[in-house]
Amino acid sequence: MEQSVDIRELNERIKNESSFVDLLTIEMNKVIVGQKHLVEGLLIGLLSDGHILLEGVPGLAKTLAINTLATIVDAKFSRIQFTPDLLPADLLGTMIYSQKNEEFIIKKGPIFTNFVLADEINRAPAKVQSALLEAMQERQVTIGETTYKLEEPFLVMATQNPIEQEGTYPLPEAQVDRFMLKIVIDYPQKEEEQMIIRHNLAQSFPKASSILKPDDIIRARKVVKDVYMDEKIEKYIVDIVFATRFPEKYNLEKYKEMISYGCSPRASISLSMAAKAYAFIKRRGYVIPEDVRAVCHDVLRHRIGLSYEAEANNVTSIEVINDILNTVEVP
Amino acid sequence: MNSIAIEFYKYHKTSIKALVVIFCCIFLSGIKTNAQNVSASATLDSTTILIGGQIDLRIEVSQPEGLKVNFPVFNDTITKSIEIVEKGEVDSIKMDNDRIVLSQLYRITSFDSGLHYIPPIKIEVFDGELKNMVDTDPLSLRVVNPFQEVNPEKGMFDIKGVQDSPFKLSEILEYIYWVLGILVVLGLAIWGYLYYKRKHQGDGKVFIKAKPDEPAHIIAIRELDKVKEAKLWENNKIKEFYTSVSNILREYIENRYDIPALEQTSIEILSEIKTSAKIDKEIFDQLNQVLELSDLVKFAKFEPLPDEHALSLMNAYFFIEKTKENLIKSLEEEKDLMLEKEKNSNE
Repeated sequence: MEQSVDIRELNERIKNESSFVDLLTIEMNKVIVGQKHLVEGLLIGLLSDGHILLEGVPGLAKTLAINTLATIVDAKFSRIQFTPDLLPADLLGTMIYSQKNEEFIIKKGPIFTNFVLADEINRAPAKVQSALLEAMQERQVTIGETTYKLEEPFLVMATQNPIEQEGTYPLPEAQVDRFMLKIVIDYPQKEEEQMIIRHNLAQSFPKASSILKPDDIIRARKVVKDVYMDEKIEKYIVDIVFATRFPEKYNLEKYKEMISYGCSPRASISLSMAAKAYAFIKRRGYVIPEDVRAVCHDVLRHRIGLSYEAEANNVTSIEVINDILNTVEVP
Repeated sequence: MNSIAIEFYKYHKTSIKALVVIFCCIFLSGIKTNAQNVSASATLDSTTILIGGQIDLRIEVSQPEGLKVNFPVFNDTITKSIEIVEKGEVDSIKMDNDRIVLSQLYRITSFDSGLHYIPPIKIEVFDGELKNMVDTDPLSLRVVNPFQEVNPEKGMFDIKGVQDSPFKLSEILEYIYWVLGILVVLGLAIWGYLYYKRKHQGDGKVFIKAKPDEPAHIIAIRELDKVKEAKLWENNKIKEFYTSVSNILREYIENRYDIPALEQTSIEILSEIKTSAKIDKEIFDQLNQVLELSDLVKFAKFEPLPDEHALSLMNAYFFIEKTKENLIKSLEEEKDLMLEKEKNSNE
């Protein structure tokens, strides 16, 4: 078989650049038992420069996962516990008066780091959420009259606790859209849980080694952007996103009244970026429909607004996505 | 003989006189009358009842007009074992001979089996002041227990067995309007629900792909022939060629195996074919080759060698030929086909 020059070169590049993926996965698996989907999601977010909203009950290694990722990438990490009395200044930083210099100096907040774990984001009031989400989108923070660029790579992983609803401030739909992926994590398997018990009883917690530098990630991101996506795949993505907006045009009349609003163009961008990152993780220089389908649930599940009728019929966004994937013709 | 009788009378004169007095007393006591001709009687409907059964006790007093009589006052019982269920008012009937008959009715029952004695009932007669007491005859009442006596030592048992109650249509006739009403309400509710659902879910159309009339392999081979005739890869339309070939195969798989292949990726199709359609490894590999190469051409700008185009087309034909459905034809159809062939060859 003879390959066209561009793709062959790209494939070679990707094979070289993505060699760290296996190493990173091995290091992550040393510390995190199970939760493959979470680790894969973190990698997709890291490589496609997107932020992650994580939903799962407490104690599923969310903090440990992002902490370990920060260690492996040799990057800075901070964890912010969101509470109802948190202020934007606690997150972004503020100006304080220095008696020594007799002037106001900048005190940067915990957001000035590479990896941020915003724990229980829905516990903080809207103004704090907005401050974080603006920083996520703009990648810069303004304190006083000065604007500071955030360090790259900058990845925010926010968690939501699905159990408690009292005393929480649910994220508005427009702000949820800024998260590239929403990953729902579940309990570990029996064997995995057994392994976790053993590690904890023996107090022998394996430690991840630092094998990458932030620059490696930035370089890998450029390669991910170069992953070839054919026009057919682009059309496939557009079809999927349009099916969430106009289900009746895709023989899904039953969802016409159940979807109050479909996915935004940001969803199309995120879906294509995530599909490219997934192809990169699979060490491929081009995107195939499997890549789109693999990331589709995580990219779209928080961007589809369901009506009261859908809730009354116990229809979830996952069911809608499944039906769309089973209806839209694969190129 | 007479002398013997006279001698007997002389010796037993005192005893005979006493006997005559006793006899007269006994004879006169049977007549319930008094100086004022007031008589009283008590009668029962029956002398025997089943336990818990009810009968009437009637007390009647016949008296001349102008006298006042007092009927006895019972509370709840006549005797310890006989209970009063219902007490009637005193009724009077005027007779022709300046007499009146007063009567009172008691409905009585008993829950104790055995023979019960009802003592004489005393009626007070007044003529300005209490003059006399008149008694009725004593009565007896037999109360029969039809059930077997319960002996706890023998264990508990039902007094009566379970009674069969056969279903009768007439029993439900009185509820028929209720039943019809409920059915009408239910029908209206279901109709309303369906109407609402249809209104809120478009026309309620369910999308079902039309199944072609022709067998899947006939359509697929015809389409492959068209692709072959179009000479796509010879005209450097390689991407179109592989898109067409893979689409024909996916459509064939969908029609042949009812696998939604058009909405599935190549990996999903291959995985489902492997599990649901039992095909040889060689045929599977041929399908795999076509789909895999098509994906590379479609999504990765891959340019296969000319030999590979021919191989892919051949593999597509081969896969369809080897997996086509064996249609069983009737003898008549076979005969028609043969006749048609013969006719065509003659022409």
